[in-house]
Amino acid sequence: MSENTLYPGLNLGETHGEAHEQAESIVFGFWVFLMSDLIIFGILFASYASYLDPIGMAGGPGPKDLFDIKSVALQTGFLLFGGIAYAGVSLALKYEQGRAKLIAWLLVCAVLGAGFVVFEVKDFVTQAGKGGIPQASGWLSSYWTLVGLHGFHVCCGILWILTMIVQIATRGVDDTVKVRLSMLGVFWHFLDLIWVGIFSLVFLVPLA
Amino acid sequence: MTKPNTGELDPQDSAASEIKSYAVGFVASLLLTVGAFAALLADLPTTWKVVLICVAAVLQIVTHLRNFLHLSFAGGESEEDMLLVLFSVSLLAIMAGGTWYIMSDLAGRMH
Repeated sequence: MSENTLYPGLNLGETHGEAHEQAESIVFGFWVFLMSDLIIFGILFASYASYLDPIGMAGGPGPKDLFDIKSVALQTGFLLFGGIAYAGVSLALKYEQGRAKLIAWLLVCAVLGAGFVVFEVKDFVTQAGKGGIPQASGWLSSYWTLVGLHGFHVCCGILWILTMIVQIATRGVDDTVKVRLSMLGVFWHFLDLIWVGIFSLVFLVPLA
Repeated sequence: MTKPNTGELDPQDSAASEIKSYAVGFVASLLLTVGAFAALLADLPTTWKVVLICVAAVLQIVTHLRNFLHLSFAGGESEEDMLLVLFSVSLLAIMAGGTWYIMSDLAGRMH
């Protein structure tokens, strides 16, 4: 067992001393929250799968009427690149490459996340225009709840990134900021993981 | 752990292996994503498309857990972390799997 790995996620490492020790229990606590989040998403996936039949669609518009596969591919791209961009943040933090680099990578993550949200909202508006509103059927209620909840998480993630940029600029990269950036990393990568489930099961499977 | 823990880590060395791990994860995710979309557009029976999309999704989730969230079965982190994740996933499997099974059984009886 390496002393250098105390918790799941890219560890700060022993060179960070106090912050590395603190991160063990705090990041673990954050994982407990994420697992409760995972249960919520999992149950919403199960509801969506249950409504995915003619009875669940209740004569309303179906996947082939509403889903735009090109837009889904674009959103997937934004989120995948936004996720990998956080590797830049984690590595710049771990190897102490300076504030400017940290802020630059955080901005890349925020911009790519915002790109995702823009196309997702555009899709929601188009779908509502075609009669695909949440009240139309059980299937649409579960669709809006699941995809909407994920979109809300991404918005929270962007807000968190912007907050961290302000904190880095005002208080510098102290131990508290290091631990917070470690938690944000786990959160941001987790959203990417949930999106893999969404684009595969929510969008691709019904269109197959 | 393949390397003996001497208490001193070469930062240059570990940075290179971490960047490599992220790069491998990224390329794998990109290929699996493209694969899933390609399976949808390909001229295949529906069952095959669904199987391919689901397999690609599971593989990509494993890639994300390993390369981006750095969760590993090989030890390293404390036992509690792994137990937390495994316990949550087993609860989820019972609740989500049970819901889906009961609802699809009911739907089958209604047709």
